[in-house]
Amino acid sequence: MQEVLRSLHRFWPEVVLTVGLLVVVLVDTIRVRGRDVATWLLTMATLAAAFVLSARLGAQSTGLFEGMLALDPMGIFFKLLLIGSSLLVVGAFRFDGSRELRGLGQGEFYALMLAVTFSNLLLAAANDLAMLYLALEMVSITSYVIVAYLKGDRLSNEASLKYILFGAVSTGAMLYGLSLLYGMTGSTSLPVIRQVLAAGLTDANRLTVYVVALLVFAGFGFKTASVPFHFWCPDVYQGAPTPVTAFLSVAPKAAGFAIMLRFFFSGMAVEGTGAWDLAGTIDWPHVLMLVSVLTMTVGNVAALTQTNMKRLLAYSSIAHAGYIMMGVVALSENGARGMMVYLLAYVFMNLGAFLVVTLVHNQDGTFDLRDYPGLSRRAPLLTVAMAIFLLSLMGIPPLVGFMGKLYVFAAIIEKGSSYWWFAVVGAVNAAIAAFYYARILKTMIIDSGNEEKPAFRLPLADSAWIVLLVLGNVVPLFLWSHIETLTRASLSLYAGR
Amino acid sequence: MIGLPHYLTVSAALFTLGLLGVLTRRNAVNVLMGIELILNSANLNLVAFSRYGTGNLQGQLFAVFVVVIAAAEVAVALAIVLTLYRLRRTPNLDEADFLRG
Amino acid sequence: MSVEAAVFYVFAVITVGAAAVVVLARSLIYSAFALLFAFFGVAGLYVLLGADFLAATQLLIYVGGILVLLLFGVMLTHKLYDLDLKSEVTQFLPASIICGGLFILLAWPIEISFSLPRLGNVRILGALWQTSWATGPGRPAGPTTEEIGRLFMSTYLLPFEAASVLLLVALMGAAMIVRRRKDA
Repeated sequence: MQEVLRSLHRFWPEVVLTVGLLVVVLVDTIRVRGRDVATWLLTMATLAAAFVLSARLGAQSTGLFEGMLALDPMGIFFKLLLIGSSLLVVGAFRFDGSRELRGLGQGEFYALMLAVTFSNLLLAAANDLAMLYLALEMVSITSYVIVAYLKGDRLSNEASLKYILFGAVSTGAMLYGLSLLYGMTGSTSLPVIRQVLAAGLTDANRLTVYVVALLVFAGFGFKTASVPFHFWCPDVYQGAPTPVTAFLSVAPKAAGFAIMLRFFFSGMAVEGTGAWDLAGTIDWPHVLMLVSVLTMTVGNVAALTQTNMKRLLAYSSIAHAGYIMMGVVALSENGARGMMVYLLAYVFMNLGAFLVVTLVHNQDGTFDLRDYPGLSRRAPLLTVAMAIFLLSLMGIPPLVGFMGKLYVFAAIIEKGSSYWWFAVVGAVNAAIAAFYYARILKTMIIDSGNEEKPAFRLPLADSAWIVLLVLGNVVPLFLWSHIETLTRASLSLYAGR
Repeated sequence: MIGLPHYLTVSAALFTLGLLGVLTRRNAVNVLMGIELILNSANLNLVAFSRYGTGNLQGQLFAVFVVVIAAAEVAVALAIVLTLYRLRRTPNLDEADFLRG
Repeated sequence: MSVEAAVFYVFAVITVGAAAVVVLARSLIYSAFALLFAFFGVAGLYVLLGADFLAATQLLIYVGGILVLLLFGVMLTHKLYDLDLKSEVTQFLPASIICGGLFILLAWPIEISFSLPRLGNVRILGALWQTSWATGPGRPAGPTTEEIGRLFMSTYLLPFEAASVLLLVALMGAAMIVRRRKDA
């Protein structure tokens, strides 16, 4: 009982999210005029409250609920990141004026968003195999539902079916691996697993650990859309409603990286020796490097030929997952910081790009890049904003995307000359990516066409959100020192039970 | 003498059979059945380890949660399959190829 | 052969055999009913492993819930007069090679050792048979329900509550996806 009360005191963000979820569901059942406004306000208020409560958690490092969750500075960073992403998505991608979401239930959608956010928070903090799997499946199942939201649309339905079948198999395989891990170590608690693994492995066990690693990576790879578990990504991103796509590209991916980091650190690292030496089980750095290179390259190369904006951005986000993984490969403090900064940057860049795509679709009804010429004339604000988002995605200074790439590349380079080829590959990939990002800009600005289309009507609220996201891309450079301190302070992971 | 590896072999058989079902079947409901076999194999592992290996109940508790999750997953999956059928009159995955690779 | 071994083999054969039918059968209905037997087999194995609560849960939820849902799925996705309910198979050979290979890698039970001229001693044995699994104090055989209940209310309280949120969301979600008329 004491433990429960103690943990609850540090669990307020999640509690608020759950209560908010229930209230939104209830309010949604009342058929009144202002119902939609009410649910939106409630959802935003819940998310804002959760954000503030997370920030007030301060710098603690402890286990919650008898070791089920870990509360530590890195966890708090991820909480803020995840809640922030949900806030931006719920706020900026409005139902009002949305062509895709017209006529669909708003209250349920927001309730589901609150549920996904809650699940993401649990996933980023999981410290036990049972909790890890439960949280992973919670994120997945709620994602399946919001992807299937456009139930009347064939494309969307097909996408959600592919998503759920692919996801269920990946997580099922991961579960099999987790069960073997439990068998080898005798516990489902990550810190205990780490202790047992660090004590040494016989040769026979080594083979099993390889199998476990492969299976577990199936689950993590699926969540972060890394090669070779990325096949669901373009189809699902294209078929899902764009707010959902934007959200999926950012939040569950971030939560996936958080749990990957925590799993490798809490579960596999050798205790007490600077926290980043993994038990000599597998040559993790090289395996992860391979995955990262493949992910970047597949994403960037495939994006070159896309004309559907949602698919293009889908492949682009696969590539970015590869860059983020560079931070994981570095397996150092700076690597973890690089990952954090990149994810922060990524939220603002990617959501911005998706918002522009959504607004164009709301007005013109198309996701096809070939319908984009002339936008610079018709919607100057959008074009400027898109230019900033795309430049940020490319990694051009002084935008926040550049910061992310800088941190990650620096972390890799300082690991020594054996890692330099990896940084070169990353740089080449960034150059390839610049091609298709530039192509979008060229189409919007230079290409002529669509003169006959009516003027672009951009509601004030949408413009406000666009400006906010642009600021999110531009301002962080001026807050460099603050970000430095924040990421340094967020470095510690809770290592106990 | 029945020991831990015997149970693990049964679960490995279930896992590979489930995987085979997932890889080869065209009908979405059949793929779901394969997924259920995979989940059951993992559960069998957990319970076997709980009894023979470690002797604590963590494995069994984990298995209970897996059962719950499987139920939720099947519910959502079938809802989506039903919608697929309503829109296209076929539960076959191959014919759901509107989205290009 | 002891009684325990005999019972184990019976349940093992039922389970694996039924699973094979699920995966290989031509007709969807055969697959569904074979799945029923597979679930029963697994429940029997749970009982042999001393997990009485879990065996009951397996029967209640898997057979009583999930299987019924799957049968509904089978029935509702075919025209009523089309009793064929055939289910096709694609790319059988490569997949079965992969899966067969995986099974052998994991579970080959009989140790084959020989020495090769340059590699030295080679041992072929499934990974699951080779690994030394963690051993613990062991539990006395007996009912598990009380202890599971106690654990649910103490160590596993959070996953318990989180799972209830999951079920709520899955319920809402599934109902919303299937609902025909849009709700203004």
